[in-house]
Amino acid sequence: MIVCVAVVGHQNNPLYIQSFTEADDALKLHHIVHCSLDVVDERVNNPKKSGLTLNETFLGLLYPAENYKVYGYLTNTKVKFILVTTDLDVRDADVRNFFRRFHAAYVDAVSNPFHVPGKKITSRTFAERVSNIVKSFGFNSVG
Amino acid sequence: MMMLLGMLTCRLASAFAELANVYYRDEGRRIRTRVEKKSFNSNELNVRYCFKVAVYAEFRRDWAEAWRFYEDAYHTLREMVGTSNRLPAVQRLVEIKTVAEQLHFKISTLLLHGGKTAEAVTWFRQHNASYKKLVGLVDSVFLHWEWMSRQFLVFAELLETSAKTSHGSSTLAVGTADNPLTEWEFQPAYYYQYAAHYLKEKRDSFEIALSMLEMTDKIDSRAESVVPSIYMGQFARLLDEGDKVSMEPLIDEEYIQYAIAQGKRFQDSLEIVVLLRRAYESFSNLKAQRMASLCGFQMAREYFSQDDFGNAKQLLDEIAHLYRKEGWVTLLWDVLGYLRECSRKCNAVKEFTEYSLELAALPVFSSFGVQSLRSKECGPAGPASFAQREVIHQEVFGLVNGETGFETIENSNLKITGDNPLHLETDLVSPLRLVLLASVAFHEQIIKPGLPAMITVSLLSQLPLTVNIDQLEVQFNQSECNFVIQNSERPPSATIPNGQQGRRVENASSLALVTNKWLRLTYAVIPEQSGKLECIYVIAKMGPHFTICCGAESPASMEDLPLWKFEDRVETFPTKDPALAFSGQKAAQVEEPDPQVDLIFGATGPALVGERFMIPVTVASKSHPIFSGELKINLVDVKGGGLFSPREAEPFSMDSHHVELLGVTGLVGQDESQLGPDKMKKIQRSFGLVSVPILKDGDLWSCKLELKWYRPKPIMLFVSLGYFPDSNEASSQKVHVHKSLQIEGKTPVLISHQFMLPFREEPLLLSRIKPLAVSDQLASLPLKETSILIVSVKNCSEVPLQLQSMSIEMDDVSERTYVLHDGGKDILHSAHLVPGEEFKKVFTIIPEVETSNLKLGSVALRWRRNFVTGDQSTSTATDDWVLTKDQLPDMCVEVSPLVISVECPPYAILGDPFSYLVRIRNQTRLLQEVKFSVADAQSFVLTGFHSDTVFVLPKSEHIIAYKIVPLASGVQQLPRVTVTSVRYSAGFQPSIAASTVFVFPSKPHFKTAAQCKELVLAE
Repeated sequence: MIVCVAVVGHQNNPLYIQSFTEADDALKLHHIVHCSLDVVDERVNNPKKSGLTLNETFLGLLYPAENYKVYGYLTNTKVKFILVTTDLDVRDADVRNFFRRFHAAYVDAVSNPFHVPGKKITSRTFAERVSNIVKSFGFNSVG
Repeated sequence: MMMLLGMLTCRLASAFAELANVYYRDEGRRIRTRVEKKSFNSNELNVRYCFKVAVYAEFRRDWAEAWRFYEDAYHTLREMVGTSNRLPAVQRLVEIKTVAEQLHFKISTLLLHGGKTAEAVTWFRQHNASYKKLVGLVDSVFLHWEWMSRQFLVFAELLETSAKTSHGSSTLAVGTADNPLTEWEFQPAYYYQYAAHYLKEKRDSFEIALSMLEMTDKIDSRAESVVPSIYMGQFARLLDEGDKVSMEPLIDEEYIQYAIAQGKRFQDSLEIVVLLRRAYESFSNLKAQRMASLCGFQMAREYFSQDDFGNAKQLLDEIAHLYRKEGWVTLLWDVLGYLRECSRKCNAVKEFTEYSLELAALPVFSSFGVQSLRSKECGPAGPASFAQREVIHQEVFGLVNGETGFETIENSNLKITGDNPLHLETDLVSPLRLVLLASVAFHEQIIKPGLPAMITVSLLSQLPLTVNIDQLEVQFNQSECNFVIQNSERPPSATIPNGQQGRRVENASSLALVTNKWLRLTYAVIPEQSGKLECIYVIAKMGPHFTICCGAESPASMEDLPLWKFEDRVETFPTKDPALAFSGQKAAQVEEPDPQVDLIFGATGPALVGERFMIPVTVASKSHPIFSGELKINLVDVKGGGLFSPREAEPFSMDSHHVELLGVTGLVGQDESQLGPDKMKKIQRSFGLVSVPILKDGDLWSCKLELKWYRPKPIMLFVSLGYFPDSNEASSQKVHVHKSLQIEGKTPVLISHQFMLPFREEPLLLSRIKPLAVSDQLASLPLKETSILIVSVKNCSEVPLQLQSMSIEMDDVSERTYVLHDGGKDILHSAHLVPGEEFKKVFTIIPEVETSNLKLGSVALRWRRNFVTGDQSTSTATDDWVLTKDQLPDMCVEVSPLVISVECPPYAILGDPFSYLVRIRNQTRLLQEVKFSVADAQSFVLTGFHSDTVFVLPKSEHIIAYKIVPLASGVQQLPRVTVTSVRYSAGFQPSIAASTVFVFPSKPHFKTAAQCKELVLAE
């Protein structure tokens, strides 16, 4: 189950962060998302070591936190998507597929002429769409 | 002897080793067969045997086998978790975990020592996954967490030691499907962090267990006699029965009591801090600042719970800085909550207020806090919500206003009183910029002194509730301009500080700061001083003893509000005029008062190169008296280059000053003595500084600048006068008057020269006939023959010049090697040259030495401007004679072997025969064979040979004589003689000018001057 998704701007500032848990661990998830940026930085700065190929947006598993797994995705505008899940056995393809759909939703949200680039995403449509993507995660891996 | 002993020892050792090896191999094999045959009925034994085999294999350095059997033992043990029922449940689990820990340690060590870090990490992951869920019973949970913490700690330390020995960290791609390991899992810091985390879990559950135990009050002394059994992970009660000691198995309850009693001895907090600090430092070294911050935050929370506020605050401040920078508001909120609580507990009023204000001004909205945070999870700041911001806002303003009724504040000793006022400062980088932002814009960039200039002060606050400001003070760098804006809704505070007395006080109807809305106030200031006028601070007084001093910012260069810049909020301009919001500056330039003094130049040039050119400068006071006047003179290259620095092409030398300021003279209207020693007069080549005496209103003062040009060049002359219009220099302002003038320096005369030979005489100069390149050959002069030098001087200036003398002067070093006949007297009484006119002078030169390099010297011309027509008042030059020199070229002197001269009368008469002689002079000691020929001329009949060859004896002369009768009148060309020297195979002809004669139709009657005089007298 996905417990948190986040969009992080190129100054490493949160643009959108939403957790999907009943438990009150939003703050913890914020910490996890924030810490995962260190791994993103590390991967982006040492692409050779981390084996990232050119133009690869999917960063893979960033790090396993206590009960979570954190995945990352980096768009070509240096906006990062972070996914925190409690599923211990996640298929790479599922995560890739999730990010692909999430990216599309993000692109639509920021294409809104009333959206100012670099500001937080407050669009309700985006939130709904993200929520749908999150709900469908893992069920239809074909997407 | 020693060697022998050493050898023996070696041999002994190897013998023992061999024996031991054999023993352990056999022993291992024996047990291994037992394991393989499964000739036992309990898993315990299986584990035990596997362990034995593995240890024996280790003794034999058979790492692969050791590893295999350890792993077997580990897996068998894991299977036992659900099946074994030998011991009571809690103790059973404890035993299994203790053994598992041992086996895991062995396996990890083997893997790490074998350099298989990735395998070790994967192994640890599996180990963690398979035991993490084995929590056990509720009241023994703390044992599980303690065990978990230990697993992480031990693995971290193993990893750390192995990292020190081998640096071969995996270069495999991480975080992918092929390799699910990630970077941090190779870092000990990651494990330290989790060791701390589980230890924290342990502490929490331990506290619960302890409190439950205390509640039931079942602590008895039986637990004191519990000791570890001889088997690992087993405990037993020691029964002391006199001289016999026996062990008795425990029931779980007793064991838990024992474990709690043991656990009470440990200070988990200290241990947690130590672990976190290791993780923190390690992550910091890895430049993983966010991970480090999280560890730091956990550490700070630990310190906080131990009431160590100093350490907590130090860590939290650092972390808050990162969160502020990256705009993680929720995290920052939490950190600030702790910081605020720390300062409250330390009774630091100022910091408490700062943190409270920052918290209240954070971009946290109700919509965000939908998921209500558990009160335990959220820090002392409470849940991050708009409502909580309002609460904090009210609390802090209650504190600064001295109100009561706020629980948080009343519980503390925080107080702000008249003796202990609170003064906060914010600037560009301060986090309090969110609380109060002051933007100041002058409406005009350049303002006149003494006239009112409009200024808009705009304030912005992100505090959640409206704030009423009692009084605003605007401070400038010129303190006379400072003013105070009083809120007329509030009663004026009775105690106006002393420093504010005499300041301008304005009244504003309302000074209410609404959230995210600019409070714009426009007032006029009247600057008196010229120069920069800059608004520095805006100080807002918000309570009886509370002020915020805000650094003023220019709207043009204002940065976005930190944190709020990521929010989707309405942004407005600090000023009503949008243009001013883009260009407004907090500083303006105050102009100088207008000068009431004229600076007049008396001449405009052009100047002539070489002369001392005078420029009269007049200072005329119109309505200002002049005190401490200073005249600055600057010469600048018109092209804008440096002050007469050499151009690229010209080498640098002292002559690079093509124009020089020689001095300032003729200080009209005052004696030189009046310039006291305190008065300045400083003259440099291109710069001068002269004091101007005290002048009354309407007075005039003038001086002359003396300039000299060394080369023709236009320059810019800048003269500026700085003075005080008041005798009191301290109070009045210096006023400056500037004037500039472009002056051209021109060449006055153009000197040229020309060499000529005597009329109708032609020496044969061999160098002229040699087919040599002309360029590298100097012009030749015949030795001991007369040559004529004509020097002409042309006035190329625009003014008439007067010449004094012209002569040829030798340079100092060389001696004259020729005879010079000066054509006239040295003094030229009336040689006035109007512009464009030319003056010529003839010199005769007879070279006396044969040389290839005859120094002729240079033409020296003394001249000056002609004052006869010039007006003396505007005269710009002195009456000194100016010497201009022009170098004559070097000449070559050579002997001419033959000289031919043509002799004929100056004129001829039609039909009247005359003799035409051609003299060939042989100057050599050789017999010269000379061919000559005469070409017929139309207008003449001649007698004699047309062509012949003659021999001229050495040092003698041959004359070829003709009788010629002119047949036509006018200027006629004589028959041309061509002479060819056979020896030198050189032919030469007299020039056409030399072979021309004027033929009169009849004999003319000339009247000489003497005859005319006689005639006049006779008449």
